[in-house]
Amino acid sequence: MTEWHGYCGRVLYVDLSEQTYHVEELDVALARDFIGGRGLGARLLFDLAPPDVAPLSPEAPLIFATGPLTGTKAPTSGRFSLTGKSPLTGTVLDTNCGGAFGARLKGAGYDALVVTGASSSLSTLEIDAEGVRFVAADALAGAEVSRATTALLEGRTGVSAAVIGSAGEREVLLATIMVDNRRALGRGGMGAVMGSKKIKGIVVSGLTRPSVAHPEDLEFFLYEVKKTLSANPITSTALPRFGTAMLVGVLGKRGLMPAMNYREPGGAFVDGLSGERLADEFLVKRAGCWGCPIVCGRQTRTAKGEGHGPEYETIWALGANLGIDSLEAVVDLNYLCNELGLDTISVGGTIAAAIELAEEGLLAEGPRRGDSASVADAIRALGARKGEFGEAAASGARALCASFARPDIAMEVKGLELPAYDPRGMQGQGLGYATSNRGGCHLRGNMLGFEVLGTPKLVDPAATGGKAGLLIVAQHLGAALDSLSLCKFSSFALSEEHYARLFSAVTGFEMGGQELLGTGERIWNLERLYNNREGFTAADDRLPTRLLEDANAAGQVVDLAPMLEEYYRFRGWNGSGVPRSAKLEQLGLSELAGAV
Amino acid sequence: MYEQFRDIGQDIYTAGLISSHGGNMSVRVGDRILITRRGSMLGRLTERDIIETSLDHDDSEVALASTEIVVHRAIYARTNGLAIVHTHSPHTILRSMIDDEIVPIDSEASYLLHKVPVYSLPQTAGSSAVADTVSEALREYKCVLLRGHGPFAIGTVLEEAFQWISCLEMACKILNLRDQTGATLKEYREHGEDYAKW
Repeated sequence: MTEWHGYCGRVLYVDLSEQTYHVEELDVALARDFIGGRGLGARLLFDLAPPDVAPLSPEAPLIFATGPLTGTKAPTSGRFSLTGKSPLTGTVLDTNCGGAFGARLKGAGYDALVVTGASSSLSTLEIDAEGVRFVAADALAGAEVSRATTALLEGRTGVSAAVIGSAGEREVLLATIMVDNRRALGRGGMGAVMGSKKIKGIVVSGLTRPSVAHPEDLEFFLYEVKKTLSANPITSTALPRFGTAMLVGVLGKRGLMPAMNYREPGGAFVDGLSGERLADEFLVKRAGCWGCPIVCGRQTRTAKGEGHGPEYETIWALGANLGIDSLEAVVDLNYLCNELGLDTISVGGTIAAAIELAEEGLLAEGPRRGDSASVADAIRALGARKGEFGEAAASGARALCASFARPDIAMEVKGLELPAYDPRGMQGQGLGYATSNRGGCHLRGNMLGFEVLGTPKLVDPAATGGKAGLLIVAQHLGAALDSLSLCKFSSFALSEEHYARLFSAVTGFEMGGQELLGTGERIWNLERLYNNREGFTAADDRLPTRLLEDANAAGQVVDLAPMLEEYYRFRGWNGSGVPRSAKLEQLGLSELAGAV
Repeated sequence: MYEQFRDIGQDIYTAGLISSHGGNMSVRVGDRILITRRGSMLGRLTERDIIETSLDHDDSEVALASTEIVVHRAIYARTNGLAIVHTHSPHTILRSMIDDEIVPIDSEASYLLHKVPVYSLPQTAGSSAVADTVSEALREYKCVLLRGHGPFAIGTVLEEAFQWISCLEMACKILNLRDQTGATLKEYREHGEDYAKW
């Protein structure tokens, strides 16, 4: 019997079709090779999901996984990952979330929760150290996220809930899972997967803290980590004061925040949508995740109500991207998406495409530029699959634009709508979008640090040479952090050396900073192998033609081809974007080569 | 890329971290290495002083590459480093012949380096033993020190690796000055005694 530190050493498997569950011991080799969280989820998905599985079928697993640092004293450790096959992209999809759910799941004694099958009627899962209860949830059918969450949590302590809204129940491919009514498992439509299994919510209850292998070492490393976080102006001042909305000013003033579906620059929206304005006019209080000293979350209020957010991405997606310069309107649209359980980035990207289709004379009725009321109507239609527009938009920008034979208007990669950084002025970010394992995403390997914020060092954002290597390091670090599980914002101040020492002190597994990055590389390649197995090739590592051909205000386009070539050579992948056998052998993944 | 080599090389020489022809630098670009020419002067690098060769096997260009290329290749093979800087920093070298590990006492290096291990090898330049020892040590520390020879540092860009070496030299200068003064110093850090744990 392994003596576990940081881990519980147990994985909970739930079969909804049979209404049964069982617990298996966590494999030590899996923990060492894939850490936990995203890495563990990716490996379990590869092993458990049948090839070509339909994401909304009962056979598709939904994997909630904590990391070895989840629930410990490590700063920003109140996180966990959800992994599955995305119904929006068809790729591997992990989404990482704060709040208390991860700490509670581990507190109940489980490193991971694997859900397969489907209930016959709408249900909730109640999970604690004793096991699983399957509870009918007919009364919550169609409920908004806040009502459902309140019903599940009211009067209880030490409990956390992951809940879908009505959009998830309708299997809208942009549906999120909301945690404790304030944090989101946002991207890729995992709310639809939960809806397909007829699970309205998962409630976890548990207060047990993981044991620590070397408490005295951990005390010193925590001291150093907290000291470094508090000395960095991003993590000690900008994020706490303005939230991620600080990026409206930082990016907008540098020509890096696009507008109107990437057709226009977003600088004109900076004053109206800034983080400073959000703090001055709408902030009720800061709201942090479990164990976080940064506290970037925003609890806000408008004339219409009170809620959480918005983040920078949302302000852009539902603001500048739609021509809306009223921050109050954006905050209200964010509340609407949260209540329906919708990903604000993908919703914004899809509606921005709809506006462009309308302006091209292709969409007769729909949302209009700068008109928040028409946007709200469009969001409700999308979330309810209402009407011809709502049904088409419920599958995202790619499907919507394809239905009008205008795929060029969809600003997406692998089907996932792009976020809020214009890669024409950040060449490495463009490569990041193209090569992301889950599609158009800024969180798989964010170049914001290298190309804008100067963490660890500022490089020329317009240059292409050397960007492949920098992006690859960022991708590996991101994979490692999502697996530990820690918040990526901590990496604005901390390095792999800090993370490796925290990991070693907590788990007792010796690991240096470079080995941690090497583990990130193993996870990245495993995800790539999964995508290869599902039919993705180099042809899918692309960008919308707009970013390659239509210059931004500074006359820049993304020069993707040379960066991509360097990226494949650097990674040891062949021209089809498949890891070569030598690379798989180096990473200990040779056994999986035959599956691709 | 040449400009980065030129600028960092000038800074290294101007800071007194090398003799006229000492030290070397490299950058990994995909499956290639750009490395300073054997016998080049880092303080006045030209484009012809940057040699491109393979990451993992010899080609004819290796005839021109730095003597330390075997060490650079080993480091890239075992780490995610994208840039390497190696100097012959005088205060650092002196300290390496006094201590078995450098535990800085100044604030900057305490933040950035915490601790730098020292390794003692009879053949200090370009050997497979150096390659093995240094590359393995850099998996845990971003800057390591060969006794009597000098530090190796990795970074994502040359500037970052240079920062670690510059920071280490300042830390060692302070330690050497401390020894000269013979004074008993006052501890200002919490956990000051714990930095050797890093």
